[in-house]
Amino acid sequence: MKFSLLPLAAAVIACQSPLIAAPQDDQYLLGPDSQVQPGVPQGKVTQMPAWDQSKLYPGTTRDWWIYVPAQYQADKPANVMVFCDGGGFVKPDGQFRAPVVFDNLIAKGEMPVTIGIFINPGVFPAADGKEKPRSNRSFEYDSLGDLYARFLLEEILPEVKKSYNLTDDPEGRATCGNSSGGICAFTVAWERPDAFRKVVSHIGSFTNIRGGHVYPALIRKTDKKPLRVFLQDGRNDLDNQFGNWPLANQQMAAALKFAGYDYDFKLGEGTHNGKHGASMLPDTLRWLWNAPATK
Amino acid sequence: MTRSLLALTATFLGLSFVQAQDTSLHDFLVDGEDWKEAASGFAFTDGLCVDAAGNLFFTDVRGGKGIYKIDVTTGATSLALDNLPGISGLQIGPDGRFYACHNKGQRIIAISPTGEVEELAKEVKCNDLVVTKKGYIYFTETPTKRIHVITPDKQTRVADEGNVTKPNGITVSADEQTLVVSDYGGKHVWTWQIQADGSLTGAEPYMTMELPLGKEEAAGDGSTTDEKGRFFVTTELGVQIFDPTGRLSGIIAKPVPGGKVVSVEFGGADHQTLFVASGDKIFSRKLQTPGHFGK
Repeated sequence: MKFSLLPLAAAVIACQSPLIAAPQDDQYLLGPDSQVQPGVPQGKVTQMPAWDQSKLYPGTTRDWWIYVPAQYQADKPANVMVFCDGGGFVKPDGQFRAPVVFDNLIAKGEMPVTIGIFINPGVFPAADGKEKPRSNRSFEYDSLGDLYARFLLEEILPEVKKSYNLTDDPEGRATCGNSSGGICAFTVAWERPDAFRKVVSHIGSFTNIRGGHVYPALIRKTDKKPLRVFLQDGRNDLDNQFGNWPLANQQMAAALKFAGYDYDFKLGEGTHNGKHGASMLPDTLRWLWNAPATK
Repeated sequence: MTRSLLALTATFLGLSFVQAQDTSLHDFLVDGEDWKEAASGFAFTDGLCVDAAGNLFFTDVRGGKGIYKIDVTTGATSLALDNLPGISGLQIGPDGRFYACHNKGQRIIAISPTGEVEELAKEVKCNDLVVTKKGYIYFTETPTKRIHVITPDKQTRVADEGNVTKPNGITVSADEQTLVVSDYGGKHVWTWQIQADGSLTGAEPYMTMELPLGKEEAAGDGSTTDEKGRFFVTTELGVQIFDPTGRLSGIIAKPVPGGKVVSVEFGGADHQTLFVASGDKIFSRKLQTPGHFGK
């Protein structure tokens, strides 16, 4: 069966936790670097044909997009940043507006020329078209192990490389996500530091959804990996059967500090949504791409 | 209070999913209601199923005579159909007949309300089955690692082989687009998308069962589904509940701490009483959610 270009984004969004903002979140607003600025060259966002031939997640299909900055030159390898739940990050009027932030920062020389790959989680289409697809998001994002890293390395990056010149330098490759996408972004780099060394996690689910609560313990007892990790959470984030998000993120930050990692942690006042992370995204990216390496 | 478009969209679209997803045991259990003995005096109870009125039917695989009934009104146990020993899996199909894994006779049979037996498949080491509203019968064959399908035109085919170490309990999602099989000899509950012809695609270890300390086998056994699409899987640790995205919501403790639970189904007039087969007895307890089957 072929399901190319199905508008799956809405169905995927429907399967995720609500990103409901509360009064504590109202202080977090987008700054000028997250708004389209006159005179700044705009990169191009292309929606790719739905990825429905995955061998590692057989039977799934997913929407995805590629952002290519205006400054991209085919003879120069571009950096890469992969966004989990990419449909939300790529929206021009969305919470994060990552392509707009990229445009502004790249134009000012505050981050390198970077191709953004925005990927939604897979869904299993229902044979009966009247029924909703089944989300594969939790399986893909919350599971520990190297499967999602392999999905990027064996399926998505080779597909992007058919059209664009991407760097193979792991220092030039980053992952980013919110909530379960946040732990997924970390897991990719944790499993494959040879391929990805920069991580941005907002409201990351380092809790026991599928065993992710063990990361602080693993970080403390494992040889330091050459990663740069940015964590954000809010004091009013979730506390449920899976765990307590602010405590889990504080445990992550403490473990990264103990093990000597190159990391930053911003604990705000927000709830389980992207507003704080979105408001900081330009600063986060400046730090991620430019801070002097401490390895 | 301002909210982003994404947050609003997710909230609007996601409400019904979210109610079914972010559920802890607090959302299933009723304060003050514990397990109660519902039937006793058997050897090894199994094969729980329910009719529209909420009567609960079960078998006694080792010592029983046939199909037993717990009356929804009186709570009394009686022998509903005699001369049918050795049934390990049971469900009432859309035509009102019982469908049974006649484990002792190594065959799948349909039984009319008056006891007329039709043989649908033979020479199969069947363990448990589920019948969809469209009349497809799926059954597990534990020793061969197979799941078979019997189509409405009575063709039997192997639907999956080799993925599940010891395929045992079997159920479907609330929309009946996904088949679900528990592994007695591993830690996963597997899922497939059910295609229009009854075939299965997209095999995935979608759910991870909690393991008893020191063991690698969860002893996943009889399984069922609630109205909101949560999966209830009997295991060595108790009845493990998974949300529709495959995340473990909680574990209902076994009625007898050192005992077993091998089959589970909702019954009662409101279909909100959970029954389990536990060795020589059947136990029941009130829950806050109704079941999917029998209605």
